[in-house]
Amino acid sequence: MVNPVRNTGKSFNPAGRVTKKIPPTGKPPMIPDRRKIKYVLIGLGLIAIGIGIFFMFFQSEEKRVKKQFRLLSEGVSKETGENIFTMDQKIKKIGSLFNDTCDMAIPAHSLSGQMTREEITGYAARGRLHLAELQLTFHDFMIAFPQEGEARVRLTARLTGRTTTGEAINEAHEIDCLLKKTEKKWMFNRIEVIEVLKK
Amino acid sequence: MLLNRRVSQFFFPSLTPAFMIRAGCIALAAYLIFGHLLTPFWIKGNSMEPAYQNGEVNFCWKLRYLFSKPRRGDVVVIRFAGQRITLLKRVIALENEEVEFRNGRLLIDGKEQNEPYLRHPCNWTLPSRRVEPDSVYVVGDNRSGPMQNHVFGQTSLSRILGGPLW
Repeated sequence: MVNPVRNTGKSFNPAGRVTKKIPPTGKPPMIPDRRKIKYVLIGLGLIAIGIGIFFMFFQSEEKRVKKQFRLLSEGVSKETGENIFTMDQKIKKIGSLFNDTCDMAIPAHSLSGQMTREEITGYAARGRLHLAELQLTFHDFMIAFPQEGEARVRLTARLTGRTTTGEAINEAHEIDCLLKKTEKKWMFNRIEVIEVLKK
Repeated sequence: MLLNRRVSQFFFPSLTPAFMIRAGCIALAAYLIFGHLLTPFWIKGNSMEPAYQNGEVNFCWKLRYLFSKPRRGDVVVIRFAGQRITLLKRVIALENEEVEFRNGRLLIDGKEQNEPYLRHPCNWTLPSRRVEPDSVYVVGDNRSGPMQNHVFGQTSLSRILGGPLW
């Protein structure tokens, strides 16, 4: 009679002898699939964090161009009760962002033709007098570098605020800009408003 | 005890591979749907009153004009440089049509149009002009203000992103 041997998970060792476990040769030790996926996910996470940190601290040309728009936005924006010193600082800031001359084509604000830096700052200073508050924001940047030292930017500019007479301002324009790099700084060389709706 | 465990599991799920895959799929689906098919927008301004009020939220259905062109009377979403800032306007004239306003009345090819969506009185007068090919003429529904202050006119079909969902 032969009794069936049940698989108890233990190796057959009637004498109870202590045997040394010999690792299988040739094949590497097996890692369960779940653990493998975990390691892959952790690896991917670390790579993503690394890429994120790289882009956060790496000052690309695109970032430098965008910075000029941020500075322009800060310079143009006006808060209620702005004092004369702040205004002077902001006007100077606007002036420092433009080349010696800049081609302007902004029909909605009666600005067209080539303007000098002084003319632009003068216009900005006069314009602020009629405004109680103003916010200029830029959205949807499309930046291209057609040649060395030139950046062409297509974006949407949004103006919100109110005049000193209490009239609300809520405008949006598509803008095409050309910036030129002079002494490692991107300067506005041309600003043109694109007509989205033609009356 | 079981409820507590379930609540805690809901708010602080264990980051198992299966959970990560599920969360990734949901994020991808949300990105595709709300980023490319049904983009949410917030109406600021009253140029489309009374159909669309200031402060309302809606969705731009991007596939609205995938196989057809906008028709007269359709409300469309028009883009600027990108999709972050858009305009919501009504199409009043199609390509090659003559559009004109006479004492607030809209005339297309010389014929007066019925505009049931208008509620506010209008006294606009705009000389006749022909809409260029591949373009439409759009205006807001609220024409109570002066014509100079209202944003309207001819725009290219390529600028139309879609239509509002409702």
